[in-house]
Amino acid sequence: MTAAIPHQVARTRSGEPATFLEAISEALWEEMERDERVFLMGEDIGEYGGAFKVTRGFLARFGATRVVDTPISEGGFTGAAAGAAHMGLRPVVEMQFMDFVSPAYDVLTNYIATSRYRGAGPLPLVVRGPVGGGNRGGPFHSQNVEMAFFHTPGLKIVYPATARDAKGLLKSAIRDDDPVIFEEHKGLYRAPHCRELLPEEDYVVPIGEARTALEGDDLTVVTYGLMVHRSLEAAAALARDGARIEVIDLRTLLPLDEEAIAASVRKTGKLLIVHEDTRTGGIAGEIAMRVNERAFEWLDGPILRVTAIDSPVPFSGELEDYFLPSVEDVVTAARYLLDY
Amino acid sequence: MTALRAADVAHFELLAGVVHTSEAALVEPDGGSAALPDRVVEDLLYLGCQGRLLEAVVREMSGSGQLGAAFADFAIDMRAMAIARAARSLADGRGDLCHPGLLSPGPALAFGATPLEFLRHVTARGTSPASARAGGLSWHDADRGLIGWGGPRGGTMTQVMAGAALAHRRRGEDRVALVFEERGALQGGGWHEGMNLSGALALALIVVVEDSFPPDPADATDLRAVAGVYGAGFVSVGAMALAELYRVAADARQRALGGDGPVIVELRPLPDEERWALHDGLAGAAVADGTISERRRVDTEAAATASVEHAAQRLGNEPGPSPEEALAPICAEAPPTRPWTRLDPPSPRAGPVEDLQAATR
Repeated sequence: MTAAIPHQVARTRSGEPATFLEAISEALWEEMERDERVFLMGEDIGEYGGAFKVTRGFLARFGATRVVDTPISEGGFTGAAAGAAHMGLRPVVEMQFMDFVSPAYDVLTNYIATSRYRGAGPLPLVVRGPVGGGNRGGPFHSQNVEMAFFHTPGLKIVYPATARDAKGLLKSAIRDDDPVIFEEHKGLYRAPHCRELLPEEDYVVPIGEARTALEGDDLTVVTYGLMVHRSLEAAAALARDGARIEVIDLRTLLPLDEEAIAASVRKTGKLLIVHEDTRTGGIAGEIAMRVNERAFEWLDGPILRVTAIDSPVPFSGELEDYFLPSVEDVVTAARYLLDY
Repeated sequence: MTALRAADVAHFELLAGVVHTSEAALVEPDGGSAALPDRVVEDLLYLGCQGRLLEAVVREMSGSGQLGAAFADFAIDMRAMAIARAARSLADGRGDLCHPGLLSPGPALAFGATPLEFLRHVTARGTSPASARAGGLSWHDADRGLIGWGGPRGGTMTQVMAGAALAHRRRGEDRVALVFEERGALQGGGWHEGMNLSGALALALIVVVEDSFPPDPADATDLRAVAGVYGAGFVSVGAMALAELYRVAADARQRALGGDGPVIVELRPLPDEERWALHDGLAGAAVADGTISERRRVDTEAAATASVEHAAQRLGNEPGPSPEEALAPICAEAPPTRPWTRLDPPSPRAGPVEDLQAATR
C-alpha cells in the first residue's frame, strides 16, 4: 500500500500556491522519487517529521533506510554522509537549526570541501537547514552561517529568497556533484507573501546565477534571503519619491555571480549591499572588493552596506529588532547614496 | 578458507560476546600456517617483505632530509597488513573498503597499492595519486577500495566509513568498511560520534585501533569498556601469530556482515623487532609445515624486494607538480589560470593586464 502524500508536498500537484517551506518539502520529495540514490539524514526527521515538519510523512513513504534518524551528533552524521556520497549515494543532511552546523565544521571544511582537491573525486551532498533571526530564538537558533563557509574552496553556498527559487535551487543542489550548503531563512518558511504557484513541471534553478528582483537605474541594492524582501519594501517606499532602485537577489553566494553585480553597478553607478549577517567579515566586504576590481570606473559614490551589528543574536525582542537590519535602515542608506 | 574451523567458531563466539572479560580470554597464537590457503600465506610473506623494506627506505629518506623528521620513526605494522588481507579486496570497486590510517600504508599495500605509488604520494611528486596537492600516508582510490584520509582530527574517518557502511546496507551489498585509526583519535569526540552512529545502526564496520607509540599518559580510555558501550565486538591483539590474526579478522568480518554491528580490534604496541618477528615466524612455519616451498619463499621475498627497490630508484626521476594542472580541479568551475586581481576592464593608466603580466615575467 502506498503511503498517503503529505499535504506539504502536494500543493503544486493540487494546483495550490506553496509556501517557502512547502517548496522545500516538494523539492526533497520529488528528488527522492526521481532518484533512489537520494536519502535524508538528520535529527528527528523521521517519525517526528523534523523540527519544522519539512519531512513529515517522508518516513512512511520512503522507509527508514532513506529517512535516517541520527543521534544528536552533527559532526558524526555529516561525516557519515560523506562516506555514503563516496559510495555513490546523494545524501541530504538536515541541520535542525543551522547554528548546529558548527560541530560539523571540521568535516565539512577539511574533509568534504577538499574531496576533489585530494583526488577523492566529487562529493555530492547537501547540508540544509533553517537560518536567520526575527523569531526571538536567541543566539543559538538564529544565526546566519554563510560566512563561516564562504572562505572554503570546494563548497557551494545557496541562500534563496522565494519559494520558486527554494525548490528549483534545492533540486539543483541535490543534483550537483559538489557539496552544497543550503540556507533557508525561517522567517520565510510560512510567510504569506512568499506563498506562490510553482511550475507543475520538473524545473531547476541554476546554482551561481543571481536574479534581478526589481529593475531600476538609480541605485543597485545587492542582497539575499529575507533581506530581499526588506529591500523590496524599501524600494517601494523610495519609488514614491521617484527613485528607481534595482534589487539584485544573489540566490547563490558561492560561487558569487559577480558579473550580474558588476553589470548592474555599471548601469546605476551606485551600490548598497544589504545582508542580515553581521557586519565584520560579512559578504558585503567581498562584494565591495569585487566591484572595485570589476567596475570601479563606473561608481559615482561610495559603496555602502546595511547589516546586522557585530553582536551575537539577542534574545529579547527589543534587542533583536535593534540588532537586525530594518526597512528604514535600507531606505536611509539608499537616500544617502541617491543624494550623493 | 571455505569453512569455519573449530578455532574460528571460538573466535566468533568470543566476538559475539561483545567484549572480552579477561586477559585470559584473549586469543593465543597457535604458531602455524597450515590452516591458511597457500595464496594467503604467500601474499602475507610478500606484503611483509615489502613493508619491512619500505619502512627502512622511508626512515633513510628522513635521515637524509628527503622527508621530514616526523618520518624518522615511520613504522609499518605487519598485523595491520594481515587484517587488511583478510578483507575482500577486489579490483573492480565492489570489494570491501579500507581506510588505511595514519600510522602506516600497510593496509593500502594489502589493497593493491604499490610502493611506488606510496613513495610518490608521501614525497609529493607530480605523478602522485593526488597530484601532490595533498600528502599524508593514504590517498583515495575507490576502484581498489581505498578511502584516503583528510583533515586534522583523528576519528573523522570512522564517521566517513560508517557512512560508507550505511550505503552498503542501502544497496544490500555484502561489503565491510575497514578503518584504521590511531589511538589518539579516541580522545576526541569525532571518533565516538562515528562509533555511536555505527552501534546505533549496527553497521558493518571494523575499526582497528593502532598504537605504535609508547603509552600516552593522557589516555585514560579503556577500549574494552568503550566497545561495550557502543555494542561493538572487541578483540585485543598483541604478538599474535599472523595466521591466527588473519582468522580473527575474517571472523570479525563475518560478524559485522551478519548484522551484529561494528567490531573494534585493538593492536597493542609492539617494538619493531617483535612486529617483524611475526613475519619471520609465519615464513618459518609456512616452510616447515609445507604450506610453501623454501624456493617459493625465496622467490616471493625477492619479488617484493625488487618492487621496493624499483620504486625507490624510479622516484628519483619523477617530476614535481605542475601548478596549472594540479590546482585546476579544486572546484568544478575553478579557472585553471592563476587569478589576477584586475582582469576587466583594463586599467586606463597601465594598459591591459596582459601587458603588465608580460612585463613582470
